[in-house]
Amino acid sequence: MELAVVGRSEFVTGFRLAGIKKIFEVNNHVELEPTVKKVLEDRDIGILVLHGDDLSKLPEMLRNTINESVEPTVVTLGGSGQSSNLREKIKQSVGVDLWK
Amino acid sequence: MGAKDIKPTRSELIELKKKIKLSQSGHKLLKMKRDGLILEFFDILSKAKDVRSELDKAYEVANKKIGIANAVDGIITVKSTAFALQDIPQIELESRNIMGVVVPKIESSSVRKSIEERGYGILGTSSYTDEAADAYEILVENIIVAAEIETTMKKLLDDIEKTKRRVNALEFKVIPEMQESMNFITLRLEEMERENTFRLKKIKG
Repeated sequence: MELAVVGRSEFVTGFRLAGIKKIFEVNNHVELEPTVKKVLEDRDIGILVLHGDDLSKLPEMLRNTINESVEPTVVTLGGSGQSSNLREKIKQSVGVDLWK
Repeated sequence: MGAKDIKPTRSELIELKKKIKLSQSGHKLLKMKRDGLILEFFDILSKAKDVRSELDKAYEVANKKIGIANAVDGIITVKSTAFALQDIPQIELESRNIMGVVVPKIESSSVRKSIEERGYGILGTSSYTDEAADAYEILVENIIVAAEIETTMKKLLDDIEKTKRRVNALEFKVIPEMQESMNFITLRLEEMERENTFRLKKIKG
């Protein structure tokens, strides 16, 4: 399996330098949603890397799918998206905010 | 199951007693599973926090380095260098079992490469590009670790929630209802017994 990166050109260039080939350059948020959907359906992708700001631009439904998806696992960088998502989930499941 | 829907017979009573016993042992087991999962979760939580902060740090460093590389070598040069890379980091997804929860275990082929292995010409680029590539390789490694731990955490949380619901349903709904029905049957049977004795006495008299 491979890693995939979706994002603006300045976000993805560095990942190209690290050798990742499945790079999807998206320069406006209209293309973002279909691209992310396409990546989620690709069985050959194990991890999807997204920018935190891009994640917050996606519609609520797709965001929920991303948060629950295991294959591929979605990791966000920058912004405060991922940790606050996990935080919410912990609060909901355990009942106490343990992420401090 | 309301207390009024059941037939007050002895066989029903025996059946109910059996069911209550089964539910109680199930409840005990599920409670143990919940506690075990929460213990496991605490282990992962501290790891996840470390991994997250490391990941954020690595991203910041990588971002800065690519910024410098872009400024010194020019965006076009950095991009064309990036396209020259051949080696794709591969990952393997395996699964591991924590108390019935299947969590992924991600193994990756080595992401870190030396300058010669990267596949672009050393003369055409500055050391800033190399540094940026280095930083991004570290970042990708961190991403792979984070992906494994965060997915494990998500799955554990899902299962904790499910188990908690089950434990609560058994404790506060299923078992009390069955006990109520059992009490109803016992009372009803006693009442019938008394009626019978009274009837017998009346016939005798």
